[in-house]
Amino acid sequence: MKKLLALAVAAMMLLSLVPAFAEETLTLWSIAVESDSSYQSFIDAIAAFEEAHPGVKIVHEPTQNEQYKTKIKAAMNAFSDLPDIFFTWGMSFLGDFVNAEPSRVLCLEDYYPAYEAELARNMCANASYDGKLYGVPYTMSMVVLFANMDLLAQAGWDHIPETYEDMQKCCDDLLAAGITPFGVSGKETWCLTEYLEPLMIKSVGTQKLIDIYEGRASWNDEGIIAAVDAFQDMVKKGYFDPNAAALGNDEVKNNFIAGKYAFYQNGSWNCGDISKSENAASFKAGLFPVLNPDNASLYELIGGPNNTLAVAVTTENPELAATAAFELGRAMSDADYKSGANLPCWAADPEAQVSDLVAQVVEIANNAVGMVLFGDNFLSADAANTYLDYVQQAYFLALNANEFAEGIDADMK
Amino acid sequence: MKRPFSYKLNIFLFLLPALILFLGVLIAPIVMSFVYSLMDWNGLSTPTYIGFKNYVELFTSRSINISRALQNAMLLAVLSVCIQLPFALILALKLSQHIKGERWYLAIFFMPVLISSVVIGQLWIKVYNPEYGVLNALLRSLGLDSWTRIWLGDKNTAMGACLVPILWQYVGYHMLLMYAGIKGMPAELNEAAMLDGCTPAQVSWYIIIPYIRPILRVSVIFAVTGSLKSFDMIYVLTNGGPMHATELPSTLMINLLFLRNRYGMGSTIAVMLIVLCFVFALLINLAFKEEK
Repeated sequence: MKKLLALAVAAMMLLSLVPAFAEETLTLWSIAVESDSSYQSFIDAIAAFEEAHPGVKIVHEPTQNEQYKTKIKAAMNAFSDLPDIFFTWGMSFLGDFVNAEPSRVLCLEDYYPAYEAELARNMCANASYDGKLYGVPYTMSMVVLFANMDLLAQAGWDHIPETYEDMQKCCDDLLAAGITPFGVSGKETWCLTEYLEPLMIKSVGTQKLIDIYEGRASWNDEGIIAAVDAFQDMVKKGYFDPNAAALGNDEVKNNFIAGKYAFYQNGSWNCGDISKSENAASFKAGLFPVLNPDNASLYELIGGPNNTLAVAVTTENPELAATAAFELGRAMSDADYKSGANLPCWAADPEAQVSDLVAQVVEIANNAVGMVLFGDNFLSADAANTYLDYVQQAYFLALNANEFAEGIDADMK
Repeated sequence: MKRPFSYKLNIFLFLLPALILFLGVLIAPIVMSFVYSLMDWNGLSTPTYIGFKNYVELFTSRSINISRALQNAMLLAVLSVCIQLPFALILALKLSQHIKGERWYLAIFFMPVLISSVVIGQLWIKVYNPEYGVLNALLRSLGLDSWTRIWLGDKNTAMGACLVPILWQYVGYHMLLMYAGIKGMPAELNEAAMLDGCTPAQVSWYIIIPYIRPILRVSVIFAVTGSLKSFDMIYVLTNGGPMHATELPSTLMINLLFLRNRYGMGSTIAVMLIVLCFVFALLINLAFKEEK
């Protein structure tokens, strides 16, 4: 009896090894930790891929956003222990890895035609270098002005102001009613750019801003100075939460949802969290008004396709990894759209049920006449940090608008 | 003739593993850092030799502003020596007098050293929170509303607010070093002094402190070099902000290495820190030697 039992156990152990030998494993690094709005989308996308590809296992290793930047850069620098697939932002962030010597990223151009019908070429611009695709964009995001209509009503406003003068009047009325107009995190500088960049694009226009970012035009420009002036005016008039300097973005977002601020200008990825709140009906999505109508219009936006999956050149199975990147990207695009976490880069399901807030953001995106990616993604790592430094100094009023423009212009050269 | 050679060979062979470890783990990274500090390198492309340009830029660039980081590090070093160490010494002298609950106090004062800096940093972030933090709540309850501040968000108060937990955390560490030194003293020294009519304060000043001077020297070296290298607590509390008001050389180095992709410049700061630590360690040794 004992021998039989031993034989059965041995046979079971041997059998359990069979799928392990047959299984192909891919590693995926991302920033989708449990608190991230895309966490569930990643889990679902991976499960769906594993089901469609029996014998393939994807090991997901999420890391917090800021730590992730250090982790992926250190791994790329060492050129060892790289994952098969990794999350990345477009433009300069991915560009540094693509242009490394030797390149750390697998070119996906040969695999793209199979998905071209669902992923338009213009959506791939921020992941393409020298005309070749190196990443699979899955969602796009843009800066949106979220408004708490209940608080606006308390100040006598039934709509989001449409002109810059009206916006100033609205903020004054809100302050008079004891309501803080804007919530922002002064601790996380990228949150300050969510206010300054819409002012810049609505002062100089899309093409000029791109020219400035790409070094073809000077930062020392009247339109930029006007935008920084307007930004500092908002600070001086007390339109921002006085405690902003000590608050992180999550705290600010929660304060906004709790009804502490009338407006919260941040990425469209917040739609999901805001829509899930108890008072979701109070919120509306809009845009910051135009600063200079001669140069810009309302639907010139900050944002674009940005969240991307790329494949490391060191992967042992390039074809499988590339297929996984595309299929996960497609699934993520759909899932993030439906959950309100982001806008899709891939052709969206026309019958998808989305929240009112997401529908409003989609309408804004559909009306866009120009888009410029977030400055800290557009600029190279060194330039982006110089830029963020100046934005922080402008917010804390450590320099005036002219000093901002002259200083950043000199340092960028 | 063969024995001395064989003897020296044995010594060499026995020391070889430690030597290889020392060269590989300590010397090689320093040499590599120095080599990279002479390069313009983003960590991904081929490094380009640029001589000492990184060093020139480090001390002249407004954008990097190393002088502010060094000022903060020096302030931390001075306060560590002038506040942290005297406080640790007072505690060590008091606890070594066989007071009731001596071991409990030792454990309590040493506890912050054992707790992760990240945890301590998070605790102090809550203490300093402008809305629900204990500090502002205490000030408000005392009717001192005008004294309340955004402690970590105001560039005038942020460095001071960071210094408190940094100094507090390592008092216990220095206290334990000094306490061990005091406990290692021959009892007859103290007894002789007491028989000669010394007060406890005089025993501490004339007998104990001179006796533990080697330990005080080690503590001063640890405090000063630790201040120059300080990183974790500032990283958690403010990450060098607001507006670089709490920037330290190490936070600046991380910023240049991993956010700006300037591995050459980051290595330059690393080399500068190594040199500063060596120079200060030598100066402190020299100062204690002269006193002898």
